[in-house]
Amino acid sequence: MRDVYDAIIIGSGHNGLTLGAYLARCGLDVVVLERRHEEGGGLCTEELTQPGFLHNVHANYHTFVDLAPPQGDLDLAGHGLEYVRPEVQMASIFDDGTALTVHTDLDKTCASIARFSEQDAETFRRLYTEAHGYVNLLLGTLMYQPPMSMKELTRALSVFGVEERSEFLSVKLRRETIDTFLDQHFTHPKVKAHLAFHGAVCGYANDVPGLAMSFPLLVGKIDNWNLCVGGSHRLAHVLWRDLAQHGGVLISDAEVSRIAVEDGRAVGVVLADGTELTARRLVASTVDVEQTFRQLLPQEAVPAELATAVETDLLHQPWSLFSVHLAMSEPPRYEAASFDPDVDRAWVVNLGYASTEELDADWRTVRSGALPGTCRPNAAVNTLFDPTDAPEGHYTGLLRQVAPYALADGGPAAWDEMGHWYGRRCIEAWQRFAPNLGDGAILDWVPYTPADIPRKLRNMVQGDWMMGEVSLANMLDRRPLPGLAQYRTPVDGLYMAGSTQHPHGFITFAPAYNALQVIADDLGLEAWWRDV
Amino acid sequence: MPDIYSTEWYDAVREAINAGVGQLRSVPEGRFIVAVEVAGDGTSPYVDEDGERRFLMEIDDGICLWYRELDAGEDEHGHVEGRIDYRFRGPATVFDEIAAGLVDPVDVALRGTISVRGDMRLLLRNAEHVASLLEAYTNAVSTTWPLGRPPYAEPTESRQMAEGRQTAGEPEGAAARA
Repeated sequence: MRDVYDAIIIGSGHNGLTLGAYLARCGLDVVVLERRHEEGGGLCTEELTQPGFLHNVHANYHTFVDLAPPQGDLDLAGHGLEYVRPEVQMASIFDDGTALTVHTDLDKTCASIARFSEQDAETFRRLYTEAHGYVNLLLGTLMYQPPMSMKELTRALSVFGVEERSEFLSVKLRRETIDTFLDQHFTHPKVKAHLAFHGAVCGYANDVPGLAMSFPLLVGKIDNWNLCVGGSHRLAHVLWRDLAQHGGVLISDAEVSRIAVEDGRAVGVVLADGTELTARRLVASTVDVEQTFRQLLPQEAVPAELATAVETDLLHQPWSLFSVHLAMSEPPRYEAASFDPDVDRAWVVNLGYASTEELDADWRTVRSGALPGTCRPNAAVNTLFDPTDAPEGHYTGLLRQVAPYALADGGPAAWDEMGHWYGRRCIEAWQRFAPNLGDGAILDWVPYTPADIPRKLRNMVQGDWMMGEVSLANMLDRRPLPGLAQYRTPVDGLYMAGSTQHPHGFITFAPAYNALQVIADDLGLEAWWRDV
Repeated sequence: MPDIYSTEWYDAVREAINAGVGQLRSVPEGRFIVAVEVAGDGTSPYVDEDGERRFLMEIDDGICLWYRELDAGEDEHGHVEGRIDYRFRGPATVFDEIAAGLVDPVDVALRGTISVRGDMRLLLRNAEHVASLLEAYTNAVSTTWPLGRPPYAEPTESRQMAEGRQTAGEPEGAAARA
């Protein structure tokens, strides 16, 4: 193994691979180090149930396709990456047998909403049209740039008079919840429930103050949910391919135990097996803040104030996800199809939330460490859109339910006892809406609990799949901590480039892309990539 | 009065920009490069239907030092080193109508009709200066057009959109501007 590189990147999730690929294309000699046996981090696709059934263990929904700059810059399609954008993107199915569907065709979405409220359908059309117009501008401003402060953003909104020109953007959104936004603009509880559900699947809880600021952006890409053909891991694979084609190296089973620091500068890493690797120009960590600053760095290299902040100020999502992965012999046939046949063609399905109040109650319950009284998971059958993920004539299924990481009664370890019990409850909830999914249709299933998340992916601390709370207090130039928000660290040559950074987790590529801008500035690299 | 995109017109815009700098509370420090790409759309007579006109401008401490129209196919990096800080691109008709004061430039940026690329932090942090640039482009310089209107026979889509907003229950401020 070579032992000297220009750039050493810790972690091969999509951010680590993306940063590595860009830097390799800049001509740097790059190595990406991965603790696990394969690259990808949250982009892992495994045969969890039976052979031939490919389950996306973590990342399933890719909503930044054709929006994230790396996809074009790194020619991911040219490397074989393929997406499917289901025509019926989402559905909410309600206990009374009615349903609402979101389509790639705006007219069809509005027609579905109009069955509940014509006024809401018209409001949605205006909101979508407005938001779709500025989605690229907002992405360029809010996501694919190192973060500004909320004060700077709101001042600019004011100077440009955006509030006067927009029906939906407003400075006051920075203090409001998504619930408030929905109450101001929409009337029907089910319409509001569906839009809030959509935000929740994106990681934005509808009762958290300040998240209304992001809501128009979420709506602007509400019809851009894409499935990675062959499984989400395929994205990791093509990123690796681009890295390798430009001379970069990926080493798996290479756990970093220490970042070497000399005279206040990161100069390399030491692997768990004692191997020492030297970094001529930079080390970038895409793992969590706790590991980076409490375990990997020598403590004398971490300023006391930062060490204290890492100890006390980091904010993690106070909710996690409980998943059930299923192997099935048939897809769900929903009773609500008699109301709206398109529900059987929908990808992401909300099973039962019919009001924002129901969602709010579950957020409160989950944050207290308890399980919601009624299971209302969301369901997805990827095989409907990518038949390659299951044996012919068979289907994979995914159920996800918001849940606490640490159960009030027993902590995270209690999940080991409860996983199968709770998985069964989630399946029963699905069967209530799709009675054909009797036990004969379900060949096998496995629970994947909040406690399993950090066991597999250590950087998702406390089952925090967004790698940091999505909230006003942990947003923009305050994420993950004010002193780390611009991707630089107090240790020269050490950068943070993972989902702990602005904007957040999800397959956005943005933390790596933004860290790249900072690294390019610091190292004087020529920026060959296209402007946002 | 000059034709739009003519040397005389751009000189007048530049003078208007520079005259406005003294009125600003803050101006951006340092140098940055702005690119404007005006794409032919078959309506504007100033740009070939399938062609484009590209302009570069250097701003230094808020002052427009120079502007330049590039020849077809000319590499912009023959004139500037490093990256373009902002790049505006859109249909010629929309740029024409912005210059005529018929279409609001922030509106069309919000609609995505004109794309804005580049360092958005710089753009937002210097919002006041950018607003003054837009003001100079929009209202400061007259053209040969009669009554401030481009010489098109029919209202274009962008103008129809802008005018349509006046009857769509938009806030009064927006309607007044449109």
